[in-house]
Amino acid sequence: MRKVVIPIGPQHPALKEPESFSVTLSGERIMAFSARLGYNHRGIEKACEERTYVQDVYLIERICGICSHAHSTCFVQAVEEIAGLAVPERAQYIRTIIAELERIHSHLLWLGIAGHEVGFDTLLMYTWRDREVVMDVLAALTGNRVNYGINTIGGVRRNISPDQAKDILKAVDTLEERTKYYMKVATEERTLIERLAGVGTLSHEDAVNLGAVGPTARASGIDRDTRRDDPYAAYGKLSFKVITDNHNDVYGRTLVRCGELMESYNIIRQAIREMPDGPLAVKAPRRIPAGEAFSRYEAPRGEDVHYVKANGTEKPERVKVRAPTLANLQTVEKMLEDGQLADLPIVIAAIDPCFSCTDRSIVVREARKRSRNILKWEDLRSYSVEWYRNNRGLDFSKLNRKMAGRLL
Amino acid sequence: MKIIKRIVNWARIKSPWILHFNTGACNACDIEIVAALTPRYDLERFGVIIKGTPRHADVLVCSGPVTKQIKKMLKRIYDQMPEPKFVIAVGSCACSGGVFNGCYNVESGIDKVLPVAAYIPGCPASPKAIIDGVVKLLSILESGAPLVKVKSSLPLGMKEEKKK
Amino acid sequence: MTDQASPIAREEEIQKLLIGEFPFLQDKVRVQRPRRIFATTDAQSFEPVFKFAIQKLGFTILCTITGLDNAATLGFIYHLARQDGITLNIQFDVPKENPVIKTVTRYFSCAEIYEREVIDLLGAKVDGLEEGIRYPLPDNWPKGTYPLRKDWKENT
Repeated sequence: MRKVVIPIGPQHPALKEPESFSVTLSGERIMAFSARLGYNHRGIEKACEERTYVQDVYLIERICGICSHAHSTCFVQAVEEIAGLAVPERAQYIRTIIAELERIHSHLLWLGIAGHEVGFDTLLMYTWRDREVVMDVLAALTGNRVNYGINTIGGVRRNISPDQAKDILKAVDTLEERTKYYMKVATEERTLIERLAGVGTLSHEDAVNLGAVGPTARASGIDRDTRRDDPYAAYGKLSFKVITDNHNDVYGRTLVRCGELMESYNIIRQAIREMPDGPLAVKAPRRIPAGEAFSRYEAPRGEDVHYVKANGTEKPERVKVRAPTLANLQTVEKMLEDGQLADLPIVIAAIDPCFSCTDRSIVVREARKRSRNILKWEDLRSYSVEWYRNNRGLDFSKLNRKMAGRLL
Repeated sequence: MKIIKRIVNWARIKSPWILHFNTGACNACDIEIVAALTPRYDLERFGVIIKGTPRHADVLVCSGPVTKQIKKMLKRIYDQMPEPKFVIAVGSCACSGGVFNGCYNVESGIDKVLPVAAYIPGCPASPKAIIDGVVKLLSILESGAPLVKVKSSLPLGMKEEKKK
Repeated sequence: MTDQASPIAREEEIQKLLIGEFPFLQDKVRVQRPRRIFATTDAQSFEPVFKFAIQKLGFTILCTITGLDNAATLGFIYHLARQDGITLNIQFDVPKENPVIKTVTRYFSCAEIYEREVIDLLGAKVDGLEEGIRYPLPDNWPKGTYPLRKDWKENT
C-alpha cells in the first residue's frame, strides 16, 4: 500500500496549542508517527538564570497555565531545600489543598476535551461548567482563576479562612456528585466506551520501557504516584488511594482520571480537617547559599521534576524543568502503532498533552513531495467523528441530547 | 456599493467568526478563551463562532508572546484570512511579551508581527475581559470608525492607514 | 510511606553499596536528605556506575538528564529514581572543547529526547545517538550557538 505522510498542525483549535505531528499512513492504518516539538520553547530555563529567585517563582508559574501551581511548588520546594528552610505545616497543607483543586480543574478540563475529541460536545459543556465551580473557589482563595501566585519561597502568601474552608467543602460536595454521574456515563454509555476502549493501547511493558508517567502510566498498571512514593507538601500525612487500571487504553486513562477526581475530594476534606494553625511562611534569604536540589511533584499529567543549582547569589545558577508531557510523548508513537487515523485525536488527547509545559511545540515531516495533504486538527477531528458514525454507527447526537435533557 | 458594504459589515458584527491561535503561550489564556465559550460566559450569544480555518475567519484571536518558530505560521495564517480582518491580542504575553519579554526565542508581542486591533491584558485575561474586548471591537466596527488596514504585500509590521 | 525508625537507613545502605562496588566514589556520594542521593564521578567511570545503579540497585526510572555549563567543562546529571521514591543523581563533567558523552538510550529509550535537548541547548555531542529531529530550537537557529551556555548572549 502506498505510504502517505499527513502533516497536522501547527494550528489546532482543539488542543489550544501549536504543535505539528507527522503521521505516515498506509491506507487508514498508522505506520509511523513523529512529533516535532519546540513551538512553545520560550527560553524559560535561561531566563531563570537572569532573574532573582522571587522573580523566577512568577516566571515558572507561567510555564503552563493548567499546571501552574505544580511548577511553582516544585520550584520553591527545591529552593527551600537548598536554603534549608523549614516550611511551616500550615503552608504545606495550603499548598496541598491548592494542588488538589488544580488537579480537579485539570481533570475536568481533560474530560471535556476528551468528549469534544470524540464528538460528545455536551460532555465538554457540562464538565467545563462544573469546572467553573473550582475556578470560583480558586479565585476566592488566591485572587486569580489561573496562575495563583500562592507560593513564595518559604511558604504561602495567603491563608484559608474558616469561611473559605466551608466554601471549599461545599464545592467539593457538589463536584463529587457530578463526578459520580460522569463516571456512570463513562462506564455505562456504549457509544462512549466504544470510542475509548481498545484505542491507544500501551502495554504495561511498553509503558515502563518508554518512561510513561501519571494517569497514562497508571492506566497501564504502573503503580506509581509521586505523592505516595516521594511525598512532598502535606501528602506524607494524608491517606489516599493511588488509582491504577489494567485496561492499557484510553478508556483506562479515563477511568483513572475519574478515580483520581474522587480521591482528590477525599484529600481536600482530610487536609481541611487536619490543617494546623500556624504561620504561613518563614523568611527566605535573598541570596540562596550554594547547593543543589532535585524536586518532584505529581502534577495532574504526571511526574514533574525540577533541578535547581544555587551559587550563593540572588539568581540561580541553573534551573532545569522536565514536565510530564515530555515523558509521555514518547509513548504516543507506540500507542498509535497499528491504529487508525480516526483514533489519532483521542489518543493524543488521552495523554493530556500540555505542550507548553513541554516546549516551553510539534512539526510535521513531509515525505511525499507531490500529494501534500495538510490537515488541520479540526479537520482530523471531524474526519474521526464522521468515520465512526459511518463505519461503526457511533453517533453522539443522541447521547448529547440525553445528557442535555437531564437537568443538572 | 455603500449599501452592500453596510450589509457585509452588519453580518460581520452580528456574527464574527473567530480563529483562535496560540503563538507559544502557557495555555492559560487559551483555556480562558475556550471557557468564554462554555455555558457560564457563553460568547456564542454574541454571535461569535470559533472556526477551524483562517479562510472563514474575520477575527484572529491570538495568545502568546510569539516564539520564533511560530512567527512564520502566524503570518501565513493571517495572510490566509480574507479582508477585512482584525487581530485581537489576548493576554499580557500577546500584548507585550508579558513575563517572557526579553527571552530568547520570543518576539515579545503579537504587534511585532501583525497589526493588532484590540489588546486584552491580563495574566491570564479572564473570560469577562475577553468578552469585553470582543464586544468593544464589534462596537468600533459598528460605528464605522476609520480602520487601520494592512496590505499583506507590505513588509511585516508596516501599516498604511486608509480612511473610509 | 516514610520509615519512622531510621529515615535514611536505605539511602545510607545504597551509599555503602555504591562505595563498596566503586571505591573511587569514597567521599563522592552524599545523602542530602531522605530520598535524595547525589554522586559525582568522571566521564570514564560513569557508565559502570550507571549500569550498577540500574541493574543492581533498582533505579529503574530515568527522570531526566540535566546539562550544565561549568565554565571550563560541561556537566551532565542523570536523575534516576526507584519505585520507593529514592532518587540518585549522578553527575560527571567533560571538557567544553570536546563535550562528548555516550548515549544511554540502550538502557532507557526515553533518554533520547533528553539527550537531544542537551545537544541543542548546550552543544553536547552524544556518541551513539542517531541523527534525528532537533529539540527544542527552531531549524533556522544559528549553528554553533548554544543558548544555555553562560557566554551566550542574545545578539539579535
